[in-house]
Amino acid sequence: MKIGVFICHCGSNIAGTVDCAAVAERASTYPDVVYATDIMYACAEPGQDAIIAAIKKHGLTGVVVASCTPRMHEPTFRKAVERAGVNRYMFEMANIREHVSWIGKDIEANTNKAAELVRMAAAKLRLDRELKPKSFPVTKRLLVIGGGVAGIQAALDAADAGLEVVMVEKQPTIGGKMAKLDKTFPTVDCSSCILGPRMVDVAQHPNITLYAYAELEEVSGYVGNFDVKIRKKATYVDWDKCTGCGLCTEKCPSKKSYDRFNEGVGPTTAIIIPFPQAIPKKASIEREYCRQFNKGKCGVCAKVCPTGAVNYEMQDETVEVKVGGIVAATGYDLVDWKVYSEYGGGRYPDVVTSLQYERMLSASGPTGGHVKRPSDGTEPVNVVFVQCVGSRDPSIGRPYCSGFCCMYTAKQAILTKDHIPGSQSYVFYMDIRSPGKGYDEFTRRVQEEYGARYVRGRVSMIYPKGGKLMVRGADTLMGTQVEVEADLVVLAVGAEASANSSALAEKLRISYDGYGFFMEGHPKLKPVETNTAGVFLAGSCQGLKDIPSSVAQGSAAAAKALGLLSRDMLDSDPQIASVSVNRCVGCRKCIEVCPFKAIQEVDMRGQPKAEVIETVCQGCGLCNATCPQGAIQLSHFTDNQILAEVEALCRF
Amino acid sequence: MSIQDELKSAITAALPDVSCVVGWGAGPEPLRAAPLFIRGEADLEGFSAGFLSVNNPALYLPSLKGSKVGVVVKGCDARSVGQLAAETLIKREEVHVIGYPCRGVIDVDKVAAKLAGACETGEVAALREDGDDVLLNTPKGEVRLAKKDITADKCGRCAFPNAGNADVFVGERCAPVVTEDGYADIADFEARGLDELKAFWEQEMSRCIRCYACRNACPLCVCRDQCVAMSREPHWLSQGDGVRDKLFFQIIHAVHLSGRCTGCGECERACPLGIPVLKLKRALSRRVEKLFGYKAGGGDTPPLLTFLVEEPTIKERDWK
Amino acid sequence: MSVLEGKELRIVGFLCNWCSYGGADTAGVGRFTQPTDLRIVRVPCSGRINPLFVMKALIGGADGVLVSGCHPRDCHYAEGNYYARRRLEVLKGLLPVLGIDPRRFEYTWVSASEGQRWQHVVSSFTAQIHALGPAARFTEAPEPARLGA
Repeated sequence: MKIGVFICHCGSNIAGTVDCAAVAERASTYPDVVYATDIMYACAEPGQDAIIAAIKKHGLTGVVVASCTPRMHEPTFRKAVERAGVNRYMFEMANIREHVSWIGKDIEANTNKAAELVRMAAAKLRLDRELKPKSFPVTKRLLVIGGGVAGIQAALDAADAGLEVVMVEKQPTIGGKMAKLDKTFPTVDCSSCILGPRMVDVAQHPNITLYAYAELEEVSGYVGNFDVKIRKKATYVDWDKCTGCGLCTEKCPSKKSYDRFNEGVGPTTAIIIPFPQAIPKKASIEREYCRQFNKGKCGVCAKVCPTGAVNYEMQDETVEVKVGGIVAATGYDLVDWKVYSEYGGGRYPDVVTSLQYERMLSASGPTGGHVKRPSDGTEPVNVVFVQCVGSRDPSIGRPYCSGFCCMYTAKQAILTKDHIPGSQSYVFYMDIRSPGKGYDEFTRRVQEEYGARYVRGRVSMIYPKGGKLMVRGADTLMGTQVEVEADLVVLAVGAEASANSSALAEKLRISYDGYGFFMEGHPKLKPVETNTAGVFLAGSCQGLKDIPSSVAQGSAAAAKALGLLSRDMLDSDPQIASVSVNRCVGCRKCIEVCPFKAIQEVDMRGQPKAEVIETVCQGCGLCNATCPQGAIQLSHFTDNQILAEVEALCRF
Repeated sequence: MSIQDELKSAITAALPDVSCVVGWGAGPEPLRAAPLFIRGEADLEGFSAGFLSVNNPALYLPSLKGSKVGVVVKGCDARSVGQLAAETLIKREEVHVIGYPCRGVIDVDKVAAKLAGACETGEVAALREDGDDVLLNTPKGEVRLAKKDITADKCGRCAFPNAGNADVFVGERCAPVVTEDGYADIADFEARGLDELKAFWEQEMSRCIRCYACRNACPLCVCRDQCVAMSREPHWLSQGDGVRDKLFFQIIHAVHLSGRCTGCGECERACPLGIPVLKLKRALSRRVEKLFGYKAGGGDTPPLLTFLVEEPTIKERDWK
Repeated sequence: MSVLEGKELRIVGFLCNWCSYGGADTAGVGRFTQPTDLRIVRVPCSGRINPLFVMKALIGGADGVLVSGCHPRDCHYAEGNYYARRRLEVLKGLLPVLGIDPRRFEYTWVSASEGQRWQHVVSSFTAQIHALGPAARFTEAPEPARLGA
């Protein structure tokens, strides 16, 4: 083998703390290395050209690049060596940036370590074999999990481009959080006027199948061919018969159910259509509030339903779908703000959340768009907004900024003035975060045109006093304590990853961070991909973002999914396991442990042998570590290769 | 009827249905029995089971897979049969297991130590059992030895003398020597301290001649001809004669047996140099038993071929 | 060529590609300073790690071995780390009987987002190995005089 080694300076990123020329010089003494050099930017065009030229000039049959992490540029360099006629798997990387130059400043130690990592890479490369991918057919169908604005956008874009789309929404209606909003910043557009038509498009699109009130039960398979099980939860109303007339909801005698859609602002019935523009506009029974289920008798809805759609015997149902790609768009939930006992912990009726306030402002909400104090139904005069409730607060494990609260609070202050011209809004804030198009201007308008008083400081305490709420806080700009007498307090409650997001991530085999937000493939370059091929992200499930960003990411995820599923065949990763049949003793241990059922027993002249199903194997190598005699080997990560790396470090 | 006669009639009864029955017969010298493959009643004459039935006949079962065979087992051998069946290395229904109560077997090395200076074990002309003793005819006259002094160590910690999974069991079941293996030997061994143990293995392994008798005697070593020690592919081992390579082979053997070893002790017994290689396996068995409550040979899935999402007994370091 | 004499000890890491290798990358991107002793072998999954790789390193002269994979429930391959957890936990039982200090081997879980945790793990493991000092290497042939002693 003729190995070429290229030590990248990465400008000063590596060369600043690694003597790259010295590493190259040492690399030239390693077995089979015939050429070694240092290079300014290996990944840039001149760098790649230099590698290609060296391959041709020196007849290289394998290449080591020592630069950044292979998780970043391995695909780049593999393509480069392939352009020079070398098989893309005859290539190894040594990570001398993230694992060396960026974590210490000791040039002597770094240079030595870099040289050792190159030695390991070269030792592994000597045992690399040319690998060729196989191709397999793709299922041209996309699963979108979550029917909020990000999911809707992804589904519509993909469906418009001709892809079949299956959307799963866990609530009885799509629309997500945006459907609950009255207006949107910074244009003060009517939220349901802009979202509603898109929801209707989802319902009517010939390429979209919607499963509302359903959850993802199980995912198996792999990119291009996922097998998905969807559990349709029992609604106790046959949606094929239900016309959405709403008669049942008028007659339902159980009128004290918690109104999920309206965030508990006012009660609702046990059989509900969440809101007038719901999609699908179908009734469903909330079992925990229904008299038929709790007391065993009632049956009013069944009696009044003109189409006989109510069915108390209905069971959950499982649907199985094959899809080629998946977009996760599961959104966010509000932080449980009741941990803040200093804000009453939920004891004061006139302390409401921002989302409850949206429902109060909405003309289709339970108050018909009239802002009223929940305690006595009177119109408030002084309204106090408290920012960063559950955001930027390490003490409750939520150190991050939720991003959109500053803006919606400004919007709500404007709407307050519109609804109650004689009102006065106060906003307690930490910093105003408004870095969007027209955003900062918006936060100025609320103060300058609408007269909202912004107080920079945290609220330390809210307590009731004679029918009012006293809000005490610091004005850090004035350096004084302030106290405001409020009729209504609106908490700008921060957001967190939606409940059970980690369980979903586990089903999808994607990573999530400590807060439950899904991990993108690369923070800069792969913002909608995940590390699991075929699974994409849209909206706040990846990290909190406002509507335009969610929509943009929905489109981006759709574009990525379309790129993937526009192909008839995909190349399988050839870094998979294979069995040496003469060495296999048919002990079945590999078959037993394989998480993907990718190994089967075959009969070979009367002897049982293991055989890998190439399109199913994901290349984890668990079988390889299980086989005592090493008869099954993971290509590109064989026992011999790992042993060679260990031996390069610990010479026997 | 004596146990011997009962076993013989159990074997006779089984013979029409099996290609052979594996048991014990006369060995190369009076102190040593040898495996006996009984294919017809004529072979039965040499059969005998008892104090000299040292070898583990389960060793031969995987290679006989595919036809129905019989096997006469001690309690420990029966554990090997159970483990082989649990791992589907044999089909349990293809094996007709004949059990009898075992009261321990001889350790010839201990006899050799007793006879030291007087004669070699190979010079013993005859052995006769006499209650709790054995009488040996040696060139220096008759020597009487108490069985308990020359019984294998493993028999002193035997919790399974009765072949629990036997299809036919002859004789009265005897009480186990212990109900629980406390692994006191391993605790004592570890108490010697790291430095001494390292030196111990360096010394012991320097004597190893790489004959692989330990592996060949192991009923659960299933790689057989594909053993990495010979194939050197994958290249876990070199041909070298160094201590590290030889010790590493023992580590490979022990790790391959972790969660599988029934502690039959054949590896150590077979070692011509008396290297206590069973210790490594027992150290792992102790750990497996402590973590997963698993005793190999009982028929359950080996613990390293399965998992629990929450492992109640694994206390991970929290790195705080 | 080897570790820097008197400065570094020989520490071998086996990291899964998806979580811990990514976590080490994240630590690098965040410029979280770490000791230089560790050399990382990248494998697809902690389930790929045969415990014998750990032993090979320890017998071959490593002063410490660190394995890190995805957190339980977060394995890129669904189950690999569950098998790894059992195998590695069992392996710890073999070290003392061989005369190897069990503190020379640790395993843990670090996700791709946990750069700081990775920094902490590497720093504390390296400190632990330095506290133990260099591991005595297994000699290839003991002194002839001691043979048969």
